[in-house]
Amino acid sequence: MNGASARDGAAAVRVSTRRAVGMALLAFVFLFGLLGPMLVAADPARQNLSRILAPIGSDFLLGSDHLGRSMLARLAHATRLSAGLALLTVISAAVPGTALGLVAAWRGGWTERVLVALADGVLALPGLLLVLLLAALAPGDLWPLYLGLSLVLWVEYFRVVRATATTLLASPQVEAARLLGFGPLHVVRRHVLPEIAPLIGTLMAFGAGAAVMAIGALSFVGIGLRPPVAEWGIMLTELLPYHAEAPGLLLLPAGMIFVTILGLQLVGGRDPR
Amino acid sequence: MSAALAIDDLHIAAGTLALVRGVSLAVDYGAALTILGDTGSGKTLVAEAAMGTLPAELSARGRVGIAGRDFAAGPGAAQRALWGRAIALLPQEPWLALDPTMRAAKQVAEVHRIVRGAAVAAAGDASARDLSALGLAAAGRKYPFQLSGGMAQRVALAAVHAGGAKILIADEPTKGLDADLRDDVVALLRGEVSRGAAVVTITHDIAVARGLGGTVAVMREGRIVEVGDAGAVLTAPTHDYTRRLLAADPAGWPEPPVRAAGPLVLAGRGLAKRLGGRTLFERLEIELRAGEAVAVTGPSGCGKTTLGNVLLGLLPADAGRIDRPGGHAPVRFQKIYQDPPAAFAPRATLRTSLDDVCRRHGIAWTTVADLMERLRLAPTLLDRRPDQVSGGELQRVALARVLALGPVFLFADEATSRLDPITQQEVLGVVRAAIARDGISVLVVTHDRRLAAKVGSTVISLDENGVAPATQRTAAC
Repeated sequence: MNGASARDGAAAVRVSTRRAVGMALLAFVFLFGLLGPMLVAADPARQNLSRILAPIGSDFLLGSDHLGRSMLARLAHATRLSAGLALLTVISAAVPGTALGLVAAWRGGWTERVLVALADGVLALPGLLLVLLLAALAPGDLWPLYLGLSLVLWVEYFRVVRATATTLLASPQVEAARLLGFGPLHVVRRHVLPEIAPLIGTLMAFGAGAAVMAIGALSFVGIGLRPPVAEWGIMLTELLPYHAEAPGLLLLPAGMIFVTILGLQLVGGRDPR
Repeated sequence: MSAALAIDDLHIAAGTLALVRGVSLAVDYGAALTILGDTGSGKTLVAEAAMGTLPAELSARGRVGIAGRDFAAGPGAAQRALWGRAIALLPQEPWLALDPTMRAAKQVAEVHRIVRGAAVAAAGDASARDLSALGLAAAGRKYPFQLSGGMAQRVALAAVHAGGAKILIADEPTKGLDADLRDDVVALLRGEVSRGAAVVTITHDIAVARGLGGTVAVMREGRIVEVGDAGAVLTAPTHDYTRRLLAADPAGWPEPPVRAAGPLVLAGRGLAKRLGGRTLFERLEIELRAGEAVAVTGPSGCGKTTLGNVLLGLLPADAGRIDRPGGHAPVRFQKIYQDPPAAFAPRATLRTSLDDVCRRHGIAWTTVADLMERLRLAPTLLDRRPDQVSGGELQRVALARVLALGPVFLFADEATSRLDPITQQEVLGVVRAAIARDGISVLVVTHDRRLAAKVGSTVISLDENGVAPATQRTAAC
């Protein structure tokens, strides 16, 4: 009893350190993406061919790339674009995924069957193929990436929420609430959402990581966004040929991806026992 | 030390909180010792200290003597070498302790082979012999999930036997078993005693203590408040707590008042229900009148909870119809659950849960406050979550929650089976008061026949064959 609560307390402290580090990393990424483009006056697309591959710490704070563009400005704009797109993607996957999962669990019957078939259909498609297909429709645009990734990612929210909610809706607490005269909205708000919120949080953290990676990887292979847009994946592609002359430059976008994913994993993950 | 098992001045603490304070007990071979106490009295900790299985975060001091060897009480398992050979534990709910993927005979043979070092063939023979000695010859080929609770209990006992231990600790051996099987288990344990084993039984069930005889130690809040011969302690207790415990035994309760029942509130006509290919009941007639309690009893799986759920409209009946004369709102037909925490939103405070009900139905908070007072619930409980109050308190909060709605019918589904006897009496006292004062009609479902007889003015027995109902002592209309 007391021993157990002392143990829980210790675990809570450990989790919070871990979470705190993750939150700090994410706060850095978020603030850099939000404020960076405003604070850095330089134009991320402005070339200065007489000052290419300037070292870090010169008149360019983070150096300049192979076209003499400010790395700081490019990195700030890329962070806004990549992280913002990832955030938007997981939100627009989580909201319909959760809502449809709840509807399927509540209604059952043919509603559930149709939704499950739909989710299975999406799962049967290779996710990137869908994104590639959409990207082919509108080369260089943002929306195919966003739409494609959301269409792929909502399924896991749907499946997790439906499975958890089905169990919860059959539980005595929900039966009691129904007998006490409460409707679906109250049951979802009071009995279901508090239980599934941590699960959704974890899925969103990992989903955002997957989205960052997917956006970066697609841009890296030249699908989706195109130069001169500043984006982590594009920056990696552009700087890769200069890895011998300016290895530090390549590390900047790679480091941003690393920090973002690490932060998300620390926040969303669970401590090993 | 001459005693088979001796515990000397045992103290167990979690941090600064003392859980067991100065317990000394001894039991000889061929004798029974029963530790009787409520949840949280520390009785299981005493057994764990004897076995050497205390959780690591607890600190303990004192001595434990097992079969002439002396150990310091404490976490860690210095006693491990004696497990199975000299001292053995008969687990609670053995159907959970048996390996679900192994046939019964193999589980017993395994002990012969590994603990006793018998050859494979000899172990198999010994296992078959053990099982047939317990009347389980046919069960050897079965898996645990194919065994009834009583049979699983016997298989576990056979496995414990096979190790050859002469000191047996049985932790709540009747938990989850029906009354009929309880007597069976008591007989099994008595058999062990007569074969020369030292049997220590941990229980909250007075009937078990009475059936086992020997020595009874009554524990409360980590102390032994009374110890002595079972006959003496259980008939002429000297300690106040023991007296209250005995008074809480349903056997000693007053008979339910036979009252002129009020108008019909709910009736089931020709009800039938099949579940999982089995007929639970058919052509069942039941009438529930205002101010009257009807008790439904029977072994687990007989369909008594299903009957209540059918009457509440939570499950459809296969045949027959439900009448609700009087035109009461559906919300006035309510239910109280077996496991109180399962019936509340776990992350909401009790105040939030009760406030939700008040707002949904436009009930003034004073109604709830009055009910809390009537049910002797401290207002400070309101700011706790369901897992932060005791089972008895939470069950009374659940009652307050449904009574606030002015119910005409209440289905109490094993509502006290997880509570200790004193709390059970308290909760049922509240239900009885609600029947008498508010004229509520109550359906009590319980596996405890004695309890059913004491609360129901009508008792319906469902048996395993689904043939119902034997109605006794119907209230005079």
